[in-house]
Amino acid sequence: MSTSVVDAANAAATAVSGAAAAPALRITSLSAYYGELRAVHDVSIELERGDVLALIGANGAGKSTLLRSLVGLVNHGARSHTRGSIEFGGKRLDKLSPDQIVDAGVALVPEGRRLFARMSVEDNLLAGAYLPRCRPTIPRKLEEIYTLFPRLRDRKTQIVSQMSGGEQQMVAIGRALMSSPKLIAFDELSLGLSPAMVDEIYQNLSAIIEGGAIVILVEQDLKRALAACTRFCVMLEGSIVLEGKPREVSEDAITAAYFGAEAHG
Amino acid sequence: MSNDDLYWTAIDLANGVLSGSMLGGYYALISVGLALNFGVMRLINLAHGDWIIVAAYLCATAASASGVPPFWTLLIVVPVMYAIGYGVQRGLLNHVSVQAAERRGMSPVYGLMLPLLVTFGLSIVLSQGLLLIFSADTASIKNDLSYSAIALSADLSISTLRLGFFVAAALLLAGLSLWLKTTHIGRAIRAASDDPETAALMGMRTPHIYSVASGVALASAGIAGFMVGMSRSFQPFDGPSFLLMAFGVVVLGGLGSLMGTLVGGIVLGIVQVLAGTYFGPAAQQVAGYLVILMVLALRPQGLLAK
Repeated sequence: MSTSVVDAANAAATAVSGAAAAPALRITSLSAYYGELRAVHDVSIELERGDVLALIGANGAGKSTLLRSLVGLVNHGARSHTRGSIEFGGKRLDKLSPDQIVDAGVALVPEGRRLFARMSVEDNLLAGAYLPRCRPTIPRKLEEIYTLFPRLRDRKTQIVSQMSGGEQQMVAIGRALMSSPKLIAFDELSLGLSPAMVDEIYQNLSAIIEGGAIVILVEQDLKRALAACTRFCVMLEGSIVLEGKPREVSEDAITAAYFGAEAHG
Repeated sequence: MSNDDLYWTAIDLANGVLSGSMLGGYYALISVGLALNFGVMRLINLAHGDWIIVAAYLCATAASASGVPPFWTLLIVVPVMYAIGYGVQRGLLNHVSVQAAERRGMSPVYGLMLPLLVTFGLSIVLSQGLLLIFSADTASIKNDLSYSAIALSADLSISTLRLGFFVAAALLLAGLSLWLKTTHIGRAIRAASDDPETAALMGMRTPHIYSVASGVALASAGIAGFMVGMSRSFQPFDGPSFLLMAFGVVVLGGLGSLMGTLVGGIVLGIVQVLAGTYFGPAAQQVAGYLVILMVLALRPQGLLAK
């Protein structure tokens, strides 16, 4: 109840400042540092509701760091920090701690899934609904997730470390969905999974997108990422070197940017 | 062998198992806090035994100052111990944890050492503080239950106090297991102990969560301190022996399994009493540690751990 009051206040603040047309997510000149090392350099991105952004790039291009900056983990570390700003729904995410960012409606499905290995499927899902604002909707969200991934319903008491990689990825996605995010980021969604499993997960992704959330997708599989997204950014050495809409840019140009070659034509 | 011999052999055994189990409840109560700190949070709290003694002094002082029956002092001592546990974790231990060391860029090995050193120091500060305030004389909580017993047959009886501790230990451990398993904060404690960074991604404020866990651990130590004071006399420097005992029980039962702590306590109690009955008092301690070593060699994860 208090959350809806805060939301209303934020909406009012947005309206008063005349920024009603501001994008839902606005990243402005974001740089991220690990000690002296700059992993992300001067990145600006704007996304609207319903956008699916594919972040494309080789290992070490700064994609994961960008996602970790978004959810507050970079600022949370004592030796890493960000510069620039991240605004989401009228809030400056770069000023908030990770738990406040989740409360603001941002969820990350981390690389390598990072499940709570000794806990059951359902305990992992419930851990995703820890915030007070998420607790009233637990039964409905659980039902949604079990409908999305029926095999999780059959295995809700199983300890997650005994499950296959694909099933674990389903738990990780479900856990992130438990907090009813308005922005959900997937880090290396298909890494280490069988092609059939990746197909299944991408099918379910469209159901998540239809829910109206902004999706950011970090993906090694260029074709799959381009097929699923409405916009893409290619990152190279911490910077965005090419951005656009998938059908407007040739795949050759994207591949060239991916490898850092000069794009001709 | 005559019938009489058989009877007495049976009585000896029954007595050993009975009073050993009751002793197990006592051991389990002493170990609950450590089981939470060490078993669930992976924090080795070397001051655990000293906190038990602190609680024992608090109960004894509160009882003699107020004149109420000793049991009622728990109403004050348990919340006070919770508050101390929360505060010490929040103000001190959270800053020297493995995660805190990693955030400062220190190696995890160093991060494991930090809480050891700090809680060892805390142990010294606590016992010296008690010495300053209460002197080295032994203290105890005066009560009428110490010598009372319930007769089961002509030759078999159990101490009322020990039975009470056994029931208290079973209830406390069952309650805490249920709390960890089914509540949001319990789940958060398990999650934050397993992977603090991912726990933060679930919206969990890990410093607060660790502090609640340590508060509950010290509240349990408060109950243990009351029990120690009710059943024996104690001194400022008695803490480490309780710590050692608790380590044995937690390792025996299995890390991360609270009910294992009760089983570990009971196994240790029965072995000690039987060894004492058949081989004399000297064998009692030796037999206990032999069992711990055997379990470590054959089933290093402990009796009840998965």
